[in-house]
Amino acid sequence: MSVTSWLTSKVKNWQIRREMGYPYEESRPEKQIAYVFDINKCIACQTCTVACKTTWTSGKGQEIMFWNNVETKPYGGYPIKWDLNILKSLDGQSWDKEGKYNGKTVFEAAPQGEKVLGWLPEEEDYSYPNIGEDECAETVEKGAFFSGIHKAWMFYLARICNHCTYPACLAACPRKAIYKRKEDGIVLIDQSRCRGYRECVRACPYKKTFFNLVTRISEKCIGCYPLIEKGEQPRCVQTCIGKIRLQGFLSKPDSPRKDNPIDFLVYVKKVALPLYPQFGLEPNVYYVPPIHVPKEFLYQMFGPGVDNAIETYKGAKDDKELLGAFLLFGSTDKIIHSFKVERDYTLGFNDKREMIAKVPLTEPIYVRPYFDKKVGTYRHNIP
Amino acid sequence: MIKRLSLLLLLVGLFLINPHCANVEQNQNIIKSVTVKEVPFKDVSSGIWKKVPVTQVNVIPQNMTLPSLQTPTIQYINVRSVHNDNWIAFLLEWEDKTRDAVVDVNKFTDQVAIQIPLDPKNLPAFMMGNKGGRVHIIHWKAIWQDDIEKGYRDVQTLHPNYWVDLYFFSEPMIYAEGEFPLQPTTVDYFITPEALNYIPGAYARNPISIFHRTQPVEEAMAEGFGTFTTQPKQNATGWGRWEKGVWKVIIARPIVTDDPNDAPISGKTYIAFAVWNGSDKNVGARKHYAPWVELVVEK
Repeated sequence: MSVTSWLTSKVKNWQIRREMGYPYEESRPEKQIAYVFDINKCIACQTCTVACKTTWTSGKGQEIMFWNNVETKPYGGYPIKWDLNILKSLDGQSWDKEGKYNGKTVFEAAPQGEKVLGWLPEEEDYSYPNIGEDECAETVEKGAFFSGIHKAWMFYLARICNHCTYPACLAACPRKAIYKRKEDGIVLIDQSRCRGYRECVRACPYKKTFFNLVTRISEKCIGCYPLIEKGEQPRCVQTCIGKIRLQGFLSKPDSPRKDNPIDFLVYVKKVALPLYPQFGLEPNVYYVPPIHVPKEFLYQMFGPGVDNAIETYKGAKDDKELLGAFLLFGSTDKIIHSFKVERDYTLGFNDKREMIAKVPLTEPIYVRPYFDKKVGTYRHNIP
Repeated sequence: MIKRLSLLLLLVGLFLINPHCANVEQNQNIIKSVTVKEVPFKDVSSGIWKKVPVTQVNVIPQNMTLPSLQTPTIQYINVRSVHNDNWIAFLLEWEDKTRDAVVDVNKFTDQVAIQIPLDPKNLPAFMMGNKGGRVHIIHWKAIWQDDIEKGYRDVQTLHPNYWVDLYFFSEPMIYAEGEFPLQPTTVDYFITPEALNYIPGAYARNPISIFHRTQPVEEAMAEGFGTFTTQPKQNATGWGRWEKGVWKVIIARPIVTDDPNDAPISGKTYIAFAVWNGSDKNVGARKHYAPWVELVVEK
C-alpha cells in the first residue's frame, strides 16, 4: 500500500488554508466544542490540572496521566519533547504570504507502513510533568533587572485535548474505537471497544491520548461531556483562577457568528490561534499568543497569524467589543452562546438567549474612608 | 562434480544442525491433526507431541493494511495438532529471544493466534475474514498467562516503587488508623462501582481489562479488518512456556461445540496464524501472519 493512498478524501482545513488528505470525508459536527486560552494570563497554578486529575484520572493505571497539563515553554513538555519530536520529523514547515501552509501535515508525511507520522513515548517521558518549570529561555544578564525590560522569556502553555476537526487519533485507530460526537464535536475513545494497540497514542501529535497500564487500553480528555450536556463549561475552565479560559462552540468556518464570543475571537478578530496548525488536525483549542515571546518561536507554534493576533490583543483596551469578549472569561460556569456589549457592560447569553453573565468593562472603584465609623476601626489596604 | 558434492554436503550439514528441520513436514500446506487418547492442555513438553508430525509454517510481516509490519523478527511457526473425541489442540512453537509478558505505553506482550473459517467451503479472506465470510479466532497472550500464574500484571509489576497517596474508594481503607498507609498494589482493592469508576476499562467491561482471567486465551470472531469481536461464549483453553529463546504454546478448543460462533472442525478445513514479538513492539496489525493452511483432522 502506498504511503498516502489510504488518504481517500480531500478535506478543507481552514487553518492551513488548503485542502489536505484524510482517511474520512469532511463531516463537521453540528456544534464544535472549542476553547480560547489567553496564555498571557496563565500563571501555571495548575488548578486546572488538579481539577481534571481529581475528577477523571485518580484511578489505578492513571498515575502518570494528565489530560490537562500546564508546561513552561520553551523547555517544558509533557510528555517530554512531545512537540520537539514531531516538529523535527515533520521538517520543512513553511507558509506562503497568503497564510497557506506549504509543508506536509502529519497525515501527508506518514512514513511507509504507517497511517500517521507519529512516535510512541516511553513511560518515563510522562514521569516529569513539571520538567523545565519556570525556566527562562536564557539567563537574565546581570543588571538587566534595573535597566528596563530584559530579553529573557518563558511562558506557560496550558494543554488539553484539542478535540480536533480531523483527529489523528481517530484516523489511526484500526478498530474505529475513537469517534467524534456529532452533537458537540467531542472526541472520545469507546472504553468497551478499544483493544489497547496504542496507535492513537503514537499518532496524536499533541500526545493527548494516554495508555492505562491497568486497564491496558487508551484514554483521553472527554471534554467533561457530562457538564457540556448540562450547558456547563468543563472543570478545567470553571476552576481556572486566572480566568484565562473560555469554552463555547465554534461555528463552521464559512458561517461565523459575530455575537458568538468564540467565533468573534477566532474568526472575526483572529486574536486566538490554533496550536501547531501545520500538523493538519484543525485543533479546537485556540490560544492568545504570549506577547513578549520572540516571534520566530510563536510563528512555529501558532502559525502566520501571530503578528495580527498580538497587535489586536494589545489594542483590546480601546476595542469595547473585544474587551467585552475577553471579560466573559471566568464570568460564569455556564456555556456562553452569544454576547453583546451594552453601555459599559458585556452581557453573556445561553442558548435560550437568557442572560447568564454581566461584567462591567471597567472595574468600579469604591473609595472607603480611612476610619470606618460604623465598626469603629481603621481601614488599611483591604479591598 | 566436486562443487556439487560439497554443496550437497553443506545442505545435509545444515539440515542436521538445525533442530527445527528434524521431523518437519515438508509440505507446508497441510497440517494433520493426529488422534490421541489424551489431549495435553498445558504440558508443552508432553511425549504425545513428540510422536506428532510437525509442519513448519512460514510467517511474513503483515502488509495488507496499515499500519503494517516493516521488519519481520519471526520466520516461522512449527505447528503440531492432536485431537480426541472432545478436544483438538495445537502446539505452536516459534523462536523469540525475549520473553515479553508486560505492557506499558511502550512495552508490548508476545502473542499468537489461530484462525479457522466458519465456512471452509467458501473460504474467506485469510486475514481477519471478510464481510459475510466470518472467521473464528483464538488468541493467546503471554501477559494473560502471567496474570493467571503470577497475579494481575499491575503498575507495581513494572514499577515496584510506585507510590500514590490516595486512590479514591479503594478498600480496605488505605489509611488504617495508627498504621503506615497501605498502598493498594493490586486491583483487588478496587471492588465497588465507585472505585471502578476510576478504572474505566474495567467499569465498561472491556474484555482487555479483565482482572481475574481464567484462561490466557480469548475467543473471537471477525469479518474483516477492525471487526475483531470477543465471543460471548468462551470455551477455548491455552497454555504456553518460554524456554531458551523458544515459545511453545498450546491452544485447545472443543472439537464439536454448540456455539454458533465457533468454526466447525471435521474432516478438512483451513487454519491461519498470526504471531507477535513484544520486544519489537508488535501489536494489533503490526504482526506476522501465515495465510490459510489446510487442516486435516484424522478420523
